[in-house]
Amino acid sequence: MNIPIDWTVVGPAVIVAGGALIALLVDAFYPRRTWLGSGLPSTIALGLAGLELLRTHEPNDYVFALSFIVLAGTLFVVVASNVMNFENAMPPGEYHFLLLSSAAGALMMVAAHDLVTLIVAFELLSLPSIALVGLRQGDRVAIRSAWTFFLASVVSTAITLMGISLLYGVTGTLDYAGMNHALRTTDLPDSVVAVAVVLTVVGLLFKLGAVPFHVWIPDTYSGSSVMVAGYLSAVSKAAALGAVLILLATALPPARDTWQPLVAIVAALTMTIGNLGALRQRDAIGLLAWSSIAQAGFLLAPAAALFATDGRRAPVQYLAIYVLANLVAFAALAVIVRLRGSTTFEDLTGLARTDPWMGIPLGFALLTLAGFPPAVIGLVTKYVVLRPVIDGGHTWLAVVMALNVMLGLAYYLRLIVVLVDRADGEPYVSPSPPLSVRLAKAMVIVGALGLVVLSAWPDLLLSNLP
Amino acid sequence: MIVTALIVPFVIGSLLMLFRGDVPGRLAALLGAAAMATSLVLFAMVWDGPNGVSGEVDTSWIEPLRAHFHIGVTALSWPFLLMTAFLGLLCCIWLVADDTSPAVVGLVLVISASSLGVFASLDLLLLFVFFELALIPMWFLIAWWGAPDDPDGRRRAATRFLLFTVSGSALVLVGIVIVAVQSKSLQIFEVTSGSVVAASLIALGFAVKTPLVPLHTWLPDAHSKAPTVGSVLLAGVFLKLGTYGLLFLDSFMLHDPFGKVAPYLAVAGVVGIVWSALACYAQDDLKRLIAYSSIGHMGFVVLAISTQSVVGVAAAVFGSVVHGLITGLLFFLSGSLKERFGTASMAAIGRGLYTRTPWLAVAFVFAAVASLGLPGLAGFWGELLSLRSAYEVGDVLTKSGAWTLLGFAVLGIALTTAYFVRAIRLIAQGEPVPRDEDRDLGGHEVVVSVALAASILVLGLAPGLIVGLYDHPTVTYHGSYSAVTP
Repeated sequence: MNIPIDWTVVGPAVIVAGGALIALLVDAFYPRRTWLGSGLPSTIALGLAGLELLRTHEPNDYVFALSFIVLAGTLFVVVASNVMNFENAMPPGEYHFLLLSSAAGALMMVAAHDLVTLIVAFELLSLPSIALVGLRQGDRVAIRSAWTFFLASVVSTAITLMGISLLYGVTGTLDYAGMNHALRTTDLPDSVVAVAVVLTVVGLLFKLGAVPFHVWIPDTYSGSSVMVAGYLSAVSKAAALGAVLILLATALPPARDTWQPLVAIVAALTMTIGNLGALRQRDAIGLLAWSSIAQAGFLLAPAAALFATDGRRAPVQYLAIYVLANLVAFAALAVIVRLRGSTTFEDLTGLARTDPWMGIPLGFALLTLAGFPPAVIGLVTKYVVLRPVIDGGHTWLAVVMALNVMLGLAYYLRLIVVLVDRADGEPYVSPSPPLSVRLAKAMVIVGALGLVVLSAWPDLLLSNLP
Repeated sequence: MIVTALIVPFVIGSLLMLFRGDVPGRLAALLGAAAMATSLVLFAMVWDGPNGVSGEVDTSWIEPLRAHFHIGVTALSWPFLLMTAFLGLLCCIWLVADDTSPAVVGLVLVISASSLGVFASLDLLLLFVFFELALIPMWFLIAWWGAPDDPDGRRRAATRFLLFTVSGSALVLVGIVIVAVQSKSLQIFEVTSGSVVAASLIALGFAVKTPLVPLHTWLPDAHSKAPTVGSVLLAGVFLKLGTYGLLFLDSFMLHDPFGKVAPYLAVAGVVGIVWSALACYAQDDLKRLIAYSSIGHMGFVVLAISTQSVVGVAAAVFGSVVHGLITGLLFFLSGSLKERFGTASMAAIGRGLYTRTPWLAVAFVFAAVASLGLPGLAGFWGELLSLRSAYEVGDVLTKSGAWTLLGFAVLGIALTTAYFVRAIRLIAQGEPVPRDEDRDLGGHEVVVSVALAASILVLGLAPGLIVGLYDHPTVTYHGSYSAVTP
């Protein structure tokens, strides 16, 4: 088995992986272990990878859009992670090394066009992020969370590997295009193909946090550092979705009768269960964890109608906004955790009044996730994902999505109301924050401004993403 | 021109909310009134006849979705627009007081402006954005400035209102997407056909907003817990978003498939007429009583819409606008009572307002008899036209069905008369027991009451002002909607 390497495709991933190594080395040999020492090389590597991406890809390319989302999301995480620099328990070199390795995996995953690359990239994405979750030294909760994550991850990888080996067995190839051809031309036993396809997709759905593989998410997010949770919910999910979409769209179209209903049902269950779970939360991070499960359902729904009009574009456009809004929300919460120590609703009461530069962006990000004006872009992307679903003939799924928009609003609004409510007692006044916190705050504000601009000109996003 | 009419209240409303600490309440309310007056005048001036679209603006908005920023005034939307701007103006005048919070004025402006946006939109996605934009401000208006004695209750009422409306509007969104996918356009006038599924989803969504029995359960609480201006906007404007949606997006845009849905709506409307009238008997709280009576009036409007005849359209528009004015007046006056006595309970307010606060009592009785449909006042024509449209059967109902519904609707009118008479007897008439809080209508209350009473009287004496819009010579009763088609 000979797998040729297309360097133009893996270029950005290699640069990011190189950056990861440099970050680790700088941290090892630099006398004082500062956050910036390894953060700076990471930022530069991500920037260079972005340039490489621009150089080698057509801007309207599907892989380009997904890679761009991964790179931009990781960059956001790296800059906002500065907020953790006060934690002695968090080693900066290892942190950046693991983050960038994982991002390299994410980049490879969205560029993968054969199943071996996919599974290697999948592991490259997963293993460092498991370590990231448990990285904080001496934190038992974090280690427990990492264990949950690890076990769930391993099981799902095993299932996917089984599916892949079955697919290889029946089609005789691991290449997406070849598989498509083999499935179309040769007469294969339907039941085997069905089982193989389902098993392969299952592992990827785990990474996406789709029901019934969602249980690890709330546990893992609440145990890990806030920005790591943000990374998992945004970048890692983006890579998983991208891989699912490309796999389904290029390798498995002939088997669409098998996976389309499966994806539709999983999407409907995911958004409903995620939303119901979020309704019970009284902590902002728990709420975002469950809401990110629900959002995975919205991301997945148009995948059930990949071959309808705009079926491939819709999930990417929704994904871009979801990633941005989610990162803004998680970064804001990371700042709040640093300044106030907790993100329960009681501690967040009146944030938009006492600290408007954090509270209002957070509120706007939540409105975007809810898909409600004045965050027009959230509403427009909801419309965008509904369109292929209806065009593909899944009207029932569209109705389920509509009802879930209502459920989602119920808890997003609850948090927004907490943010703008009048605080009881003394308003919290934060002392003048150090530069690191200001960097994270700046990211929050820049991200929220991006959402505001896109709300004013949704065309900007919709015309420019493939 | 329309863009200015929309932007002025939006901008002033947002500024008032932003600088709520720096503006005195009285000035804020006057600014708001000026903004709404500008809007009203602009919408009145932009009109150039029932044929075609007046003041049309059509620019590209979201190219890949073929969504346009497309607004304009049609014969169908013009009365709604004027009524909304008028009620918004009166709400601001009502708020002229020192203790008014500028944020409330800001919310009123944003809610009114979003509703104006809905009525002016000719693009489905734009219409939906405006439709949703008004909801969160309304939540805050109810939950933060609602019934002062019941903080938990008003919050619950606000949330219930919001969740009901959003589930409705989410269904509307699905309907809109279906229409857009099928006709490859989001422009309402370019939609040629649609499926029954789309028509029923849109109808179901707007039925929550209208509201139709059994989807009305959010309404009594929301109306009774809201502050006075909130109740006025809810009843006067928000319910009209529902009827306008049914008229424009269903009956007009999806004319043929809506015919399959219309009979069910007609039945629900008439059930609402009778049901709400019976419920009104059990009410002691004046605001709840008016809220339930709204369901009945909306029943008449929906009955008219579902006949899909030209009389029906005239009846629906007239009934909606007039209900906005009359119920607006009723809610303003019950707000006055609540301000004075701290409660809207008729038992607590006591009898004999004729002697205690004569002008307030007269205004209330005027509004009540207008609402129950006294000939000569506007409420009469709304109900009469609605009954006539049912009598003429229209395009989609069967004769026996329509006439049965007509019978029940007439029964509803009798019941309506009875409960309003009961309310008048309970508070206006009887042996007066003077109380310290008795105080007759004050400055801005007089202005608001006179303005509304005059408009009710004018429309009662000259219903042709609105009905005439749909009485164009090209219209035949059997047919077409060309009167409302530009």
